[in-house]
Amino acid sequence: MTAVTTESGVRVSARRSSVPVSRRHRWYVPLLFVGPALVVQITFLFVPLANTFVLAFTNASTIGGGRFTGLANFTELWSDSAFRHAVGRTFLYMAVAVPALTIGSTCLAVLVNTRLRGTGLVRPLLFSPMVLPLAVIAVVFQYMLNSDGLVNQVLTGLRVVSEPVPFLNDPDLALLSLTLVTVWKGCALYTLITLAALQNVSPELDEAGQLDGAGWLRRTISVTLPQIRGTTVLIAILAAVATLRVFTEPYVITGGGPGDATRTIVVYLFQKGISPGTDAGYASAISLVLFSFVLVISGVSWFVARRASS
Amino acid sequence: MTTRVTTREKLVRWPLMLLAVATVLAPLLWQVSTALKSAGESTVGFPGGLLPQHPTSQNFVTAFTEIPLLRYVGNSLAIAAMGMGTNLILATLTGYALARIAFRGRTLYTTILLATAVLPFEVILVSTLLVTRGLQLNDTLIGVVLPQAVSIVAIFVMRQAFLRVPNELAEAADIDGAGPWQVFRHVMLPSVRGSLAVIAVLGFLDSWDHFIWPLVVLSDPSKYPVNVGVQYLSGTFSADQRVISAAAIVVMIPPLLVYLLMQKQVFKGLAEGALKG
Repeated sequence: MTAVTTESGVRVSARRSSVPVSRRHRWYVPLLFVGPALVVQITFLFVPLANTFVLAFTNASTIGGGRFTGLANFTELWSDSAFRHAVGRTFLYMAVAVPALTIGSTCLAVLVNTRLRGTGLVRPLLFSPMVLPLAVIAVVFQYMLNSDGLVNQVLTGLRVVSEPVPFLNDPDLALLSLTLVTVWKGCALYTLITLAALQNVSPELDEAGQLDGAGWLRRTISVTLPQIRGTTVLIAILAAVATLRVFTEPYVITGGGPGDATRTIVVYLFQKGISPGTDAGYASAISLVLFSFVLVISGVSWFVARRASS
Repeated sequence: MTTRVTTREKLVRWPLMLLAVATVLAPLLWQVSTALKSAGESTVGFPGGLLPQHPTSQNFVTAFTEIPLLRYVGNSLAIAAMGMGTNLILATLTGYALARIAFRGRTLYTTILLATAVLPFEVILVSTLLVTRGLQLNDTLIGVVLPQAVSIVAIFVMRQAFLRVPNELAEAADIDGAGPWQVFRHVMLPSVRGSLAVIAVLGFLDSWDHFIWPLVVLSDPSKYPVNVGVQYLSGTFSADQRVISAAAIVVMIPPLLVYLLMQKQVFKGLAEGALKG
């Protein structure tokens, strides 16, 4: 935790004192350093990226063959109601999970931003989900949210509901239930980042508020949180990109079902291009649409960052 | 005055913190409880059935003997070791060049790397599969590792680390007549050990968590890493929830151990990874 904060502090002071010198060497020296990674990146990053742009305009199959079809994939996507629904579901997922993640992690960070005894034990426990593999978490939550899972056992045991809630079997409820998993896991990392920002806030303004007689809640909302606004926006953006890419939760827990109720963009991409489908061209067109959504969010984040710094 | 505020603060914060911790721990503890239940016991029942009546380690034994969990763990460890190794070597070399070696196109290369950091892997999933298949590396552990062999986050963590090394160190070595490799190996590398630990930890956690790529590139279930394997088994109709729970716990232990032992590196690595990615 403190490592994050002090680290950036060190970096600032180091940069101020001495500008690092880059040396010139014989022509092949830089190649020896950059070359190995560059070969890997060309093969597994730049070529696939370029290839995605080419494939999107073909009817290629993952098994082989294919020829250029112009914009056919995109016109088909436009009228593909399954794709439109997948986009709609993903945006709904985003609309639920992003506010939940942002507000949840901010509240948690404020909660544990204290010197109270026990906090030293609470923090590491609270952050622990961030290191657990999502696919395994998803298996665990599949059991948790089953009709006889822990959540329903507690709800029926406490007589909150008389019948088990069909968290995963009800088409209207399944997608929302999956967001629980995303939020449970995602809050850990986002709370960590928010807490690091909170610990960088200078206490002087808070003390001034205290002298003015403002209560704790008032000071937190009007004095402290506005100072970490940049971090909060950043977390919302990170969460938005992460939910656009959501795959593991629906794939593992519901397999995209019941019916197609939890088929998100990447699940649809997977079904079209990997298994059971082999339509590499169409899947690449879906990939490009997904990429354009991510670029829009990145553009917004760049715009926000620029406005914040000026 | 101050003590009264603190008491009130305690009364508000402690119950809320307890609730938060309970929310995090409940699914995990329930898994432990389920994994310890003997075959005849119901996995259902609240509050009576929450704890195992006849605790047994049989499910863990079954997980290792009757389902290929040991194999999965071996695959995952192999993938993680290779991924850590390639990242340590490739990201360090590249990070060093970006920070300390003047070459034509450096700014352009840095910009391209920064730009591709926003590229989600899912976008190039299908094409990467085609490339990997073209190289006949599909269905191999090498094929699982290579697309993640050099992480852009790791490159930039190392670049920042090398930028922080004081110039005097390198200059002193230059005067002593050391070549570029000697300077890198004996002067620069020892000064960035902290960051090497960060990218090693990050590489391990990343590869332990990777799901969609191994799922796509591997077709032989005996090559699955743990998380693909556990979800594959949980989907088979014969799956016993107690055994799957035991397997899930086994899979969670290595990253939790790394987290407990190297908290500082984990925090730094994951936070930087999130901010860059």
